[in-house]
Amino acid sequence: MCIIGVALATTFAVAVGAATMRYTTVIKEMNVLFSGQIMVVSKDAIVIQAIPIGGGMLPQNYTEKRIQNVTGAEKIVPILFVTPLGIGQIIQPVPVNFSMGIPVEYWQLILGPTPLRGKAGHFPTNESSNEVVVGPSLADQYNWTVGLPITVMGHELEIVGILDTKLALLSRCVLMPLRLAQELYNYRDSINIITVKPIQGFSQKNLTDTMENQLPYINALTEDERNDMIQPVLAQVETWNTGIQTVIFLMSLILVMTVTVMSVSERRRDFATLDAMGAPLSYVFRVVIFETSLIGVLGGILGIAFGSLAALVLASLYTNIPLAMFFPTFYEIIPPFYMLEIFLAVVFVCCLGGIIPAINATRMRIAEVLRAEY
Amino acid sequence: MEIKTVDLTKIYSVGSSTITAVDKVSFEVNEARFIAIVGPSGSGKSTLLNLVGLNDYPTLGKVFIDNADASLLSNSKRRKIRLFRMGFVFQTFNLLPTLTALENVELPMSLADKPPKKQREKALGLLETVGLGKRLFHRPKELSMGEMQRVAIARALANNPEIIIADEPTGELDSKTSKEIIALLFDINRKEKATVVVATHDEKVVDVADAIYSIQDGNLRLESQR
Repeated sequence: MCIIGVALATTFAVAVGAATMRYTTVIKEMNVLFSGQIMVVSKDAIVIQAIPIGGGMLPQNYTEKRIQNVTGAEKIVPILFVTPLGIGQIIQPVPVNFSMGIPVEYWQLILGPTPLRGKAGHFPTNESSNEVVVGPSLADQYNWTVGLPITVMGHELEIVGILDTKLALLSRCVLMPLRLAQELYNYRDSINIITVKPIQGFSQKNLTDTMENQLPYINALTEDERNDMIQPVLAQVETWNTGIQTVIFLMSLILVMTVTVMSVSERRRDFATLDAMGAPLSYVFRVVIFETSLIGVLGGILGIAFGSLAALVLASLYTNIPLAMFFPTFYEIIPPFYMLEIFLAVVFVCCLGGIIPAINATRMRIAEVLRAEY
Repeated sequence: MEIKTVDLTKIYSVGSSTITAVDKVSFEVNEARFIAIVGPSGSGKSTLLNLVGLNDYPTLGKVFIDNADASLLSNSKRRKIRLFRMGFVFQTFNLLPTLTALENVELPMSLADKPPKKQREKALGLLETVGLGKRLFHRPKELSMGEMQRVAIARALANNPEIIIADEPTGELDSKTSKEIIALLFDINRKEKATVVVATHDEKVVDVADAIYSIQDGNLRLESQR
């Protein structure tokens, strides 16, 4: 019973911990995309790292031209970022699928050295009117291959490449030229992000202040400001996770302690007999601690197994991505180090839970116990 | 091993009243003797054995082990005396239920840090001696009461004790098995030269004892001696 209790607690700890870790990892990954750049969004948009949530659209040409005139702005990249629910709607903080339209000449600037899977295919060109590249997770889920036609918003598109990336954000993305995205989603001359690379040595803060003064309808965020916006959210998530884990481990501790106190009490005669035979106190202590450690080891192993499965199921339910697709990335969702950490914590907590019962076992008054048993 | 008690007294408090379980008992247990302490239930037999066996502390008086005051011994030294120099046999056998007969006998040797091979050899020999050579791997619940008591006696002999303290060893046994157990204890006393102190109200023990003490309301009296 105690092993099952510890296993259940561990399951919960692993599932919550893994889900939280995945969430925070995805959020942190997003910043890789626009590292060192200023992000311009509409005034009323909420920004989680690189993703604008809610808010209105920005007129592309007008805004681009105004920003170009601001001293200190070097490269200006307009981007259309579209989630399945559409612009302007509040959705889950980490979208499951999305489309991103970027002018083709800036793809490398945004994506970095992200290659194509199997070096097959190519990135769309300025001339392409229906070419897209897709993230590997989307491709695997829907069995998309290079050259395959897909239909998005009633338009037939052609997959010309599959990204070879482990970034969660890019792996669920359909990337296309900006013009195609604007046409597809009917946002002509509209975008919802502009990234601005400052001239080397130019203060990001000065640049954002100038832009915001000249364009009152925009919100320009430096990398630090974006980090500052997300840090409290991440800190809160981490705090909740730590809190939940602490409660879980405390419950395990109380469970192990209660069950072991009962178990020692039921075996008073055995411990008194050991005492009468002259068993050293350390031996009696070790017997109890060994038993609780064993509970921790067995409960920990079972809990980690069930918890890992639960974490995958949760990820699948949350994202609507088939469960089987998470197995290849099993160790990314639940890293081996995290499993070891939880396992050691469970065993430690169980050892800790054995201390009071072990002390009880060593403090038995032999004569009284043996007399009472007759 | 010589054990001597001087004015040994044990008083229990039960609520607001007190019970004198052992009342100023002074007696000596000499080497290689077979001593019987007889008396009805509640007369103080077990309490006296617990005091003599260093399982309990007296309220007043002293226990001397080889002329050394046991009350001055540390807890650890008292444990060592119990482990290396004393063997205990209980009325209810007190075998560890999860261990086999063989493991139960090996346990005191394991506590004494004897090499595993020697533990096994000695335990096999002892179980053979008590007639359980074919019940080595049975757990206590698979043994009869008589067999359990034999295992308990083998366990008590594991570390070659100088004294065996047996508290009502035949209390749970039928007449025939009682006789066998008494014969076994007597044999150990004579062959191994181990002192045996038995608390009992079994007449058959009285027949073989070198000295017979009676105890009533905690008062011990020498009845006869050979």
